[in-house]
Amino acid sequence: MNFHSVTRNLLFAVLGVNALWVGCAHAALGGDAASVPADAAELHGAVNTEIRQQYDLQEISGEGGMRVREYLGRDGVVFAVSWSGPVLPDLQRLLGTHFAEYSAALKALTHPGLQRSVRVASSELVVESGGHMRSYAGRAYLPALIPAGVSAAEIL
Amino acid sequence: MRPIMVMAPLLAAAMLSACVGGNGTSAASVAPPMPQNTLAVTVDAGPPAASGGPPIGAINHAYVTVKVCVPGSQTECASIDHVLLDTGSVGLRLVRSVLAAHAVTLGAETDAQGRAIGECMSFAGGQTWGPVALADVTMAGESAGKLPVQVMDDRTVPSPAPPATCGANGTLINGVSGFNANGVLGLGVFAQDCGQLCVGAATPQAVYYGCTAAGVCTAENVILTDQVTNPVTLFAADNNGIIVNLPNLKNANGDATVQGELIFGIATQTNNGLPATGLTVLGTDSSGDFKATYYTSTTVLPALIDSGTDSYAFNDPALTVCSSGSFIGYYCPVGAPLSRSAVNTGVGANNATSTVNFAIEDPTTFVANATAFTGLAGGPGSSRFIWGMPFFYGRQVYVGIEARVAGIYTGPYYAY
Repeated sequence: MNFHSVTRNLLFAVLGVNALWVGCAHAALGGDAASVPADAAELHGAVNTEIRQQYDLQEISGEGGMRVREYLGRDGVVFAVSWSGPVLPDLQRLLGTHFAEYSAALKALTHPGLQRSVRVASSELVVESGGHMRSYAGRAYLPALIPAGVSAAEIL
Repeated sequence: MRPIMVMAPLLAAAMLSACVGGNGTSAASVAPPMPQNTLAVTVDAGPPAASGGPPIGAINHAYVTVKVCVPGSQTECASIDHVLLDTGSVGLRLVRSVLAAHAVTLGAETDAQGRAIGECMSFAGGQTWGPVALADVTMAGESAGKLPVQVMDDRTVPSPAPPATCGANGTLINGVSGFNANGVLGLGVFAQDCGQLCVGAATPQAVYYGCTAAGVCTAENVILTDQVTNPVTLFAADNNGIIVNLPNLKNANGDATVQGELIFGIATQTNNGLPATGLTVLGTDSSGDFKATYYTSTTVLPALIDSGTDSYAFNDPALTVCSSGSFIGYYCPVGAPLSRSAVNTGVGANNATSTVNFAIEDPTTFVANATAFTGLAGGPGSSRFIWGMPFFYGRQVYVGIEARVAGIYTGPYYAY
């Protein structure tokens, strides 16, 4: 993947931005750009931004191969997030206000039990989460906020 | 102390000679008997959700019974039935209330600072929280002494409380209903659940925690021997892997119950040999996955053979997803049974390639009281390929543990 334009490293996030944003920006999905440095600080990761035609793809790389991507629309709203890595990231943080809907849907699964793959989908929210210890991956998006002409398949 | 230490070998020698008896056989010339290495596996409707109630209604869940004792005790023991056999995770996790019903209390392991070690373990459907405790665990004739296990704290208010990031908003699955089981027996390809990632992280991963007496838990690194451990690795023999052996099902629309066996060890005894030909050995990467491509797709997916998943689980947007009935979210294919296939490829030295054909049934045709289904598929939206329980019916599945050798194969691998 061809990242360019902006590279902020961990040091910058911690020294320059962390103090401003941690504690006030807990939303990611559905939140604004402020959530990106906050999540980077949480993951102790570096941020790369790739500017695409209709949105910015902000990728946070953390320890052990942890990767979180946040898809920031031109309206300044994060319309999608994705994650992969050896541990499950804090989904409450990544899903923000949408975590409650996600957790309620988990409890309503017809066959709960141990799951290695779950999908929660409504007109407002889609969450796909799966994996096992040492290897988790998933994504969440707000279908109504995906920019026109952008496919959900771009959210990886 | 000294007199006792001197006496102990003498006492042992006296007992040994008493056991050999008068038949003239010397202890030195007789090989110790191989341990009984076969444990019964049952697929049924699961444990009761509440004591004395009806079975919880599990499907495609393979259960075993595990004997657990307080370390060193012969009396503070419990045989815990309906522990889910899970080849996709590592370590034994037991529900606290089930242990309590047997009056077994397992004390928390402590870290170097004397804090109780707790663990937050993530499954896709939720998280478990509770202390890492030591237990003497026996399965068939095999024993793992002082095994680090997780006690899943299913009290309404767990103590110590889980950290804010663990099981938020009701996503804790510590109870019997969280797993449709009294516990989970993880016999995957690794020796510990987390491994080096949780030993030396610059910022400790949100997996293991040190908890003060006041109940304040902070993420910390934990040495390998204190992590939740694959019990097989602590067996004196038969410690290089397992074989899961389940029969073919009789009915495409579901069998009421299934009996099979879990065999400990690979190529260690006469009952667990490696076949001379025809074995597909799929090495895994450091995450525990081999590679698979599904049907006509060319996308390479991480894959595993997972008795903890109740179905073939993969993403296929062309398949209809059940929108009603008791299998919402699974596939309800039009024109079932559908024939599909996937190609497995091993990683590393064990790099076999194998095409597996399978059939997908329509679960709306399944018999209501059955618990074992061969054609159940699900996993829409999944970014991996999981050979769940249907794959196990009619196969011998081998799980080789990392760095352990069985014949010409070194783990980690899955094989069939």
